[in-house]
Amino acid sequence: MSPIASSWAAEVAAVFVKEWRCEFRTRYALNTLALFAFTTLVVTSVSLGPMGIAKAQGSAVLPVLLWLILLFSVAAGLPRAFVQEEESQTATALRLAATPSALFCGKLLYCLTLVMALELLVTPVFLTLMSLGVESPGLLAAVLAAGGYGLAVGSTLVAAIIAQARTKGTLFSVLSFPVLLPLLLLVVELTRTAVAGGIGDMGSTAGVVLPQLLLYDASVSVAGLMLFPVVWNP
Amino acid sequence: MKTLLAWLLWLWIALVIWAAFFYAPGAAENFQVPTSYRILFFHVPMAWASFAGFIGSAVWSVLYLRSRNPRHDLAAAAAIQLGLLFGVLATVTGAVWARIEWGLYWNWDPRQTSLLVSLLFYGAYLALRGAVDDPEKRARLAAAYAILGLVVTPFLYWIVPRITFSLHPEPVVNAEGKSQMSSDISRVLLASSVGFTALFFWMHNLQTRLLVLAERKSAGGDQGYGA
Amino acid sequence: MELSGANTGVVVVNLIIWTGIFLWLLRLNKQLRDMEKKP
Repeated sequence: MSPIASSWAAEVAAVFVKEWRCEFRTRYALNTLALFAFTTLVVTSVSLGPMGIAKAQGSAVLPVLLWLILLFSVAAGLPRAFVQEEESQTATALRLAATPSALFCGKLLYCLTLVMALELLVTPVFLTLMSLGVESPGLLAAVLAAGGYGLAVGSTLVAAIIAQARTKGTLFSVLSFPVLLPLLLLVVELTRTAVAGGIGDMGSTAGVVLPQLLLYDASVSVAGLMLFPVVWNP
Repeated sequence: MKTLLAWLLWLWIALVIWAAFFYAPGAAENFQVPTSYRILFFHVPMAWASFAGFIGSAVWSVLYLRSRNPRHDLAAAAAIQLGLLFGVLATVTGAVWARIEWGLYWNWDPRQTSLLVSLLFYGAYLALRGAVDDPEKRARLAAAYAILGLVVTPFLYWIVPRITFSLHPEPVVNAEGKSQMSSDISRVLLASSVGFTALFFWMHNLQTRLLVLAERKSAGGDQGYGA
Repeated sequence: MELSGANTGVVVVNLIIWTGIFLWLLRLNKQLRDMEKKP
């Protein structure tokens, strides 16, 4: 370890850069995410698109589909972030070299950028294929950002947990879905509002629900920062 | 002394059951099928006990992380196992009551849904335990997950139902802090809640002792304490 | 107190709960027996 104490932010940046460097070598996560998302997109749009959904039904059903696509793509591609470390045994080096909080934030930033890239890819294509008009694009962007962050932070922590267990693939889904479910309920509600405009289904407004989404993001972030050292260090 | 307490518990529960059938009034307003409202004396405490299991597991998980005493970890696991048992029973009895009150076994009522998701949590926790062989690692990871679960659950239980229409009755304590239920009913409900909570902790004590024995016996072995 | 249609619901609920708990205690019993049996 360098005798010069790295600043915390520099550590985070270093982890972040390392993640992307490794990722670009194999492009595993990007390929998995993109492939999975694309396949699901095609399935949903071929099944629903040509039939032409009425706007009323569309705004009810399609937000759910969008988030399901995002959720399952994340579940397919993200866990590798930690599993790979354990498998290639670089985890030990990381345990020595990095402070846990910096490591967590670095990985989180990496996962976050992956999720954002995924959303940027999926959302416009989804909206186009489904011919879904959006009343409040600003709200949609905010939901995608806050919701995407929620997906990333929850997934990063759960990925860290399952990396040290067996049966990692299915275990990630099993563990992460109960944790992410409240998030999904909130973002679907907000996405519906963004699509339909004004009052969403079930009579709530974005003003009430968006703070709850942000509160979820904040709570899971704090929990992640506090729990990650426990999970990471033996 | 412990045996005496156990017998007292049995007596208390027997009393509660008697009171539910003979002491509480025959019918209650605010319910669709007034005569079967008594189910609330049994269904509600089960749901509360299940939730107590959830909270208990988080508390014991925190205790474990501070003390690294394996007993705390096993207490957390036992709490989840019992939370799962009581939760399943609460869900089933809730479905029976839903069929009577609202005509359908399942209505996607937010409280029904949150209870169901809690069951998913319990299952996930036990699946995690089953997937880790080393006892210390297992304890550590499970503790982290239990605490994460507790952080996330309030969103399910309190926030989501508030923003959606609920078939469940309005909070029973209204704005003035006075109960909307008749005092007879509240009394029986309270007694029942106390009884079931005590029952939970007694069973939890048994379960924890069993897990500790099993752990000792397998001497660093591999049991996952799945439900 | 006669068992009207509505009251059977309450009885059913109780049956479910106590049967569930009883089965759990039986399981505990079995686990204890297994542990006592092993060498």
